[in-house]
Amino acid sequence: MAFVPKKQAFNASINAVTLGTGDKSIVIGGENVLPFYTFDAPIENAPKIGVEISDLGMEEYQVPGLQEFYAGCTTPAEMAKKAETMEGASFLCLHFEGADPNGHNKSVEECVQVAKDVAAATTMPLVIVGCKNAEKDAELFGKVAEALQGKNILVLSAREENYKAVGASAGMAYNQKVGAESAVDINLAKQLNVLISQLGVPASSVVMNVGSAAVGYGYEYVASTLDRVKAAALAQSDDQLQMPIVTPVSTETWGVKEAVMSEAEMPEWGNQEERGVEMEISTACACLASGSDAVIMRHPAAIATVAKFIDALM
Amino acid sequence: MAVKGLDIFKLSPKTNCKDCGSPTCMAFCMKVAQGAVPITKCPHMSQEAIALLSEATAPPMKSIEVGTGDNAHKLGGETVLFRHEKTLVSRNLFAVTLCCKMSDEEVDAKLAAMAKVDYERIGEREFVEFLFVHGDADAAPEKLTALAQKAVAANRAVIIDCENVEAAKAAVEAIKDTKPILNGATAANYAQMSEVAQAAGVVLGVKGANVEEIYSTVEALEKAGNKNLVIDVTGANAKETLANAVLVRRSALKDGVRTLGYPSIVNISVLAKGDLHMQTALASLFTLKYGSILVMENMTYAEALPLYGLRQNIYTDPQKPMKVAPGIYPMNGATADDPCMLTVDFALTYFLVSGEIERSKVPVNLLITDASGMSVLTAWAAGKFSSSSVKKFFDEFDIAGKINSRTLVIPGKVAVMKGEIGDKLPDWNVVVGTREAVEIVKYLKDGEHIKAAEAAAKSAPKKEEKKEVVADDAPLDLSKIVIPEIKVVDMGVTYKQRNVESKKFVTIGERIHCISPVIREAMATFNPEPILKRAAEQIAAGATYLDVKIGPAESNGPELMTWAVKLLQENFNNVPLALDTANKKAIEAGIAVYNRTNGKPIVNSADAGSRISYIDLAAANDAIVVALCSADGIAKDNDERMLHCHHMLERGLSLGMESDDLWFDPLFLVVKGMQDKQMDVLNAIKLFADEGLKSTGGLSNNSNGAPKNVRPIMDSALVAMAMMQGLTSAIVNPNDRRLMETIKSCDIFKNNELYSDSYLDV
Repeated sequence: MAFVPKKQAFNASINAVTLGTGDKSIVIGGENVLPFYTFDAPIENAPKIGVEISDLGMEEYQVPGLQEFYAGCTTPAEMAKKAETMEGASFLCLHFEGADPNGHNKSVEECVQVAKDVAAATTMPLVIVGCKNAEKDAELFGKVAEALQGKNILVLSAREENYKAVGASAGMAYNQKVGAESAVDINLAKQLNVLISQLGVPASSVVMNVGSAAVGYGYEYVASTLDRVKAAALAQSDDQLQMPIVTPVSTETWGVKEAVMSEAEMPEWGNQEERGVEMEISTACACLASGSDAVIMRHPAAIATVAKFIDALM
Repeated sequence: MAVKGLDIFKLSPKTNCKDCGSPTCMAFCMKVAQGAVPITKCPHMSQEAIALLSEATAPPMKSIEVGTGDNAHKLGGETVLFRHEKTLVSRNLFAVTLCCKMSDEEVDAKLAAMAKVDYERIGEREFVEFLFVHGDADAAPEKLTALAQKAVAANRAVIIDCENVEAAKAAVEAIKDTKPILNGATAANYAQMSEVAQAAGVVLGVKGANVEEIYSTVEALEKAGNKNLVIDVTGANAKETLANAVLVRRSALKDGVRTLGYPSIVNISVLAKGDLHMQTALASLFTLKYGSILVMENMTYAEALPLYGLRQNIYTDPQKPMKVAPGIYPMNGATADDPCMLTVDFALTYFLVSGEIERSKVPVNLLITDASGMSVLTAWAAGKFSSSSVKKFFDEFDIAGKINSRTLVIPGKVAVMKGEIGDKLPDWNVVVGTREAVEIVKYLKDGEHIKAAEAAAKSAPKKEEKKEVVADDAPLDLSKIVIPEIKVVDMGVTYKQRNVESKKFVTIGERIHCISPVIREAMATFNPEPILKRAAEQIAAGATYLDVKIGPAESNGPELMTWAVKLLQENFNNVPLALDTANKKAIEAGIAVYNRTNGKPIVNSADAGSRISYIDLAAANDAIVVALCSADGIAKDNDERMLHCHHMLERGLSLGMESDDLWFDPLFLVVKGMQDKQMDVLNAIKLFADEGLKSTGGLSNNSNGAPKNVRPIMDSALVAMAMMQGLTSAIVNPNDRRLMETIKSCDIFKNNELYSDSYLDV
């Protein structure tokens, strides 16, 4: 008797969330199968890749390949415009590293201006990433969400400490999308979604960042969290975990030893940039394979490869 | 399992003869299906039934062994699809391709490049395990053979990838002693290929256009008696390959399709020929999604660093704490002249502490000592991080020989160890560091450690004043124990006389423990008040036993335990106690003055690993022992729990103990994090109870990290479920009223206590 493999499409599905407006808007999520399991059921929306741009501009981008790609750019807005041309990119991610009160401590007004400039110069959906200081981020997200009303941006992210402020302003008052962030803790991920929905933010406006790490650096916690979130969302039909997942990759991978050590320090390891690119590729693909519906990356070569990888599997 | 009780029943004699010990054939077959009794217990079962059952209980995915010597590898044997379900057992391996069409120079260059990637990462050797020797359909046998021999000479395990039977046969024959894989069976040639593989005694790789074709070929091979197989799931492109890899593994593990229960080969080099970045991308995917051997065109450091890192992460056992290897870790360019900071081998502790030290930019030698992967306080309380363990570490790693500095900073949380470590390492200036890792940067930058070390050096006692050191293995001399005078204080609470035969649930109050700062301080200064206060509260709340956790107490364990036992028993009508410490002499001393009126003393605790000898201690002192069903780390499943249980039971019985005096602890797990293992723990309790064994455990661990208002509810629900399963005791916080009331109510339902309207009050 011929063998017929069993299919495993689920009755439940991941929420489809739209980011941005117009021609360039994207939809993430919507699938009712595990990542890339197109043999179980078709997947309508391919995973997406966002390009990370720092508000600190080129000073954060010392890698030769990035220097070359962004050659001539002086402001985040110029970089963003250039980033839109990157092969495989479908959204932009403006990372306000400079807002950190323990660092450059840029004022909220200054940041809002940068966000407005970037939004004016580009057409792709925009994701705003904060500086990890809960208070500053809450203020920043509120003001940016207000300034960019109607652009359908995503703020990353609301955390346990500031979800009320972020949810109420960005999510409800200004109708933007909210990312709920937890650090590789599935129970907290669910709890945060419950709290944000209790505030009144509709589920279709929420995505999750369930935590991230570079491969080799405790990545098993990320993999298992992603696996378990998808299992709960699909197999157990848990509607508090059916939000699509956006995972920042570049912020993790470009800081680890493999990407930071120069070739002079580690001659046997070979070209430094190549190592950083491969770390970014491997981490992004591992995240996508376990359940991220979008990844945020930095290097053009890595982004091109991951885009090709997604295409090959869809 | 695929076979249901009813299926077995159909094959059973249906005579209800009871020879198996079960009342009916049906009952017996249901038990067999559960795996509770072996089918061989029925002397009348047919051969057919036995064969069916052995097929059903065979592992869902075979373990396949290839290679020899240093190049021997195990593939497969997985039981779950995701690591969080249990653990993945055989990490994926990597191969690099060689091809008959390559020139000798190309082959040599590739072998040389491949050999360069060979390094260690957290205790594992990372290298290219296999060479994948490819020959096309028209490959000349001599050429393929020569290449295979070259691969063997490069000291790697070999996969011969060739669908040409003649060429494959020649190459396999030539290197069969190295146990290569012959990857070449197709729907067209499988019979001949299988003959070649079986004659040479090597593993055969099966290919096919899709899962259906692979299935038929494997089925045919199995029918012909060859089950020494791997499946090459490589399809026409990446998408098809993923489908094959997932369907093969999922069918085997989830749907019980044993024909597909073999390890897999994924040939990434043909899916993304010439595109190294894409090969990294695909290798990452197939590391997660079911590739056993990943075949790459090349392996450079740029590819290896992420891929081996990912593999190491994915194949760590989620139930074992991540540990860092003990040793000296020079930070910020530290030399032998720089001071040392000591901490434990729990990976998270290490990452936190090393990260902060790096941020301080102050050169320091970080010393990591073996503490079974526990955090500082937990390890200290469990006796895994003590002055003896530190001394042993210093000797084993010759720290004094390798480091010239004599400054040793210990974690602030274990400041109590300062004196003991100072006694064992008299040449060192022991300094108490910060309590939290986040304070390290400031501490080091301000040079606090240097100042403290200088102060310590000045005030150090002269050598001859040193205390008399008693050898660790010297017998305990009770006559030398001197303790402060015990005063009886009226706390307004008395312990009611207890019937030691009572079937009522035994609660062991956990509130007297040295992790609490108040109690730690009281124990350090022999101050009775805080201890009496907590004892009185627990007794008033209805605790049956009180646990006395004194920590390792290396310098004065016997004194401290003697004092605590007398203090509590004299004040509270001989309240029965659990003596909780890793210090055996302290337990012995405590039992020597213990009054048994209200129950035997409990030794807390033994396990089936390094603490097995605490059973001997309990046996020698006619005590009860808490027996943790674990050895190193949490048991993987109930088979392992029961293995440990029986191991300890046997030991106890052979030493003359009653089985009632071994209280087995299944180890309660945290819901946040191990939610899917809760039923395992509850089922383990049932397994103990079915064998008439008693059980106990730290039940409230389940709700660790949950909100305060939720914890009593969770604990109460769990205790009710656990008592239903047969739990006879628990280590609890008796001040949790809801929990205590639940326990009393369950005792009513279990008919352990006669009901009255006021049962909660008595």
